[in-house]
Amino acid sequence: MIVSLVKPSRNSIIRTLIPMGTALLAFVVTAFLLIYGGFDPLEAYGLLLQGSVGGVREIGETLVRSTSLILTGLAIGFAFRCRLWNIGAEGQLYFGAIGAVVIALTAVGQIPVFGVIIAIIFGAIFGGAWAAIAGLLKSRLGVNEIIVTIMLNFIAILFVDFLVRGGPLQAVGFEPQTELIPLTAQLPMLIEGTRLHAGFLLAIGAAILVYLILFKSKLGFSLRATGVNPKAASYAGIDIKKSILITIIISGAIAGVAGAALVQGVNDRLLPHISPGYGFIAIVIALLGREHPLGIVFVAVFFGALMSGANLMYQTMGIPVAIAGTLQALVLIFALIGEFIARWKFKGVGK
Amino acid sequence: MAEVLGAIIITLLVSGLRLSTPLLFAALGEKIAERAGVLNLGVEGMMIMGAFAGFMGAVISGNIAIGFLFGIASGALMAALMGFLNLTLRTNQLVAGLAIWLLGLGLTAFLYRLIFGIGVSPYVKPLGPTYIPGLTEIPFVGPVLFNHDPIVYIGWAMVPILYILLFKTKLGLKIRTVGENPKQADTQGVSVVRIRYLAVMIGGAMAGMGGAYLVLVMSGEFVEGMTNARGWIALALVIFGRWHPIGIFGACVLFGMVDAMQFSFQAAGVKAPHQLMLMLPYIMAIAVMAFTYKRTLQPAAIGVPYSREGK
Repeated sequence: MIVSLVKPSRNSIIRTLIPMGTALLAFVVTAFLLIYGGFDPLEAYGLLLQGSVGGVREIGETLVRSTSLILTGLAIGFAFRCRLWNIGAEGQLYFGAIGAVVIALTAVGQIPVFGVIIAIIFGAIFGGAWAAIAGLLKSRLGVNEIIVTIMLNFIAILFVDFLVRGGPLQAVGFEPQTELIPLTAQLPMLIEGTRLHAGFLLAIGAAILVYLILFKSKLGFSLRATGVNPKAASYAGIDIKKSILITIIISGAIAGVAGAALVQGVNDRLLPHISPGYGFIAIVIALLGREHPLGIVFVAVFFGALMSGANLMYQTMGIPVAIAGTLQALVLIFALIGEFIARWKFKGVGK
Repeated sequence: MAEVLGAIIITLLVSGLRLSTPLLFAALGEKIAERAGVLNLGVEGMMIMGAFAGFMGAVISGNIAIGFLFGIASGALMAALMGFLNLTLRTNQLVAGLAIWLLGLGLTAFLYRLIFGIGVSPYVKPLGPTYIPGLTEIPFVGPVLFNHDPIVYIGWAMVPILYILLFKTKLGLKIRTVGENPKQADTQGVSVVRIRYLAVMIGGAMAGMGGAYLVLVMSGEFVEGMTNARGWIALALVIFGRWHPIGIFGACVLFGMVDAMQFSFQAAGVKAPHQLMLMLPYIMAIAVMAFTYKRTLQPAAIGVPYSREGK
């Protein structure tokens, strides 16, 4: 076999723990910003904890956020693992939401059980199709997928805004939104008194599926091989162009499911700005999770907790919600630094 | 009728040139970094940081010029962090760039709300056009070319300045060598890391300047995420302009015109949903990428971290 792949490191637990350790530093830096803003950081972080894991309702809220983050994180992690830099999960999520709402509002959405499933499938198809634009440009013309997927994000967000604000999907009335989708197309709730919906189970299922595809299937092997060493993969008889396209379509489909889950489990309709940037945060999640489903689920739940905790911090103390985004980005930066320190130490021991 | 049409064309050209200015700064700066072999994906983050810092500087001092200095400094600072991650710690360039982007986006939104709350935020009186005696009065040419704010002219001046810097100076030669063949540069006694730091920081300073322009000339206020992917568009324009200052200038002006066109369409009463108009620059960026896919002119060592051991 010509193709050799970098195996997931044996000390993957340590490699997951290092970002968690450096995460503490991000909280320290943010604490100083909070003091500068006139807030008591201890009180704030207390609320963060309370708002994310302080009760059944709060845990439910954390897992609702995690659902979107796991799915988008998996989408990006899958592409990154195959060395395809799909930064377009946000746009693919929006297109998935369109797909789900469009089918759910037809007669098909009225069919019990089938309505839910077909809407999710449509979400996946729409997300995958939107991603395929970048995939085709990359595989046919060699166009850099990073910039294309970024642009596709902005186009998708504007397109959804158009659809529901004066466009063909706007419901009767003045609100920029579609009609409610029928109950038969909605994801069932999991726990009474929370907003947690079956989409969470879907996300966990997707994580397992991604693991199986990436690491236990021939397809996953050839996709990863294409990313790591396209030349060698080509010699080994792998169709590079096809691999690129398949990778980005799978990635986009997963993000599309995230959009469908938002429509079917959270909002029950399509709205402008249906996602507060899940697809962007997902980049941090995929990187911190080391492009591995298990790591991604772990980080996504942690970040979901940050987001729902940030809500309580805002409601109680008036701390801007954007604190979550700041913390997330800082966690990544400190993790990158921490990784360097870890590598450097290992070297020392080795000698 | 001809007069009205003339007025519309003048407005289109003027606002096109104005809209191209932040892109021009960001793209020219990015080009320096790329010429040195660093693909800086953090431009967007540096721009939004520049916009925020520029705004803060102007609010605190009440002086637009100090605002710009703040913007430039913050962009360079973000670039230094990018350099630290990428050049010192040798993190993957793409990852480092993405981290800088998301940090800029998150941090500015957080700090803005932290400082100003959700109440009414201050407004900076934007820098207006400068009247140039003799030149501004020339029919057509005057209002189009010589009725801008000074920053537009600084942007234009950067084109020949960077051209000379890159192709006619020793430093420029070092930058290009580091980007094309870092090993050769190293054997000639050029510090690859130091040159790359310098290039990335020049790029960051210019991105910060472009970001500050958005606030201090175009809008007068800071809005979360206000760069709206301009940093990313700048990346596309560097490729479209084939890594050459003059090519990039042309690409930016063309892009500014397209951007300005959506406003003219609306003014001219073209009935199209505004969201579809707003998509134009992004669609255009994709089109531009699709048409300039041949990457033969890309600096050879772009995106490749340099290490002396050559592992």
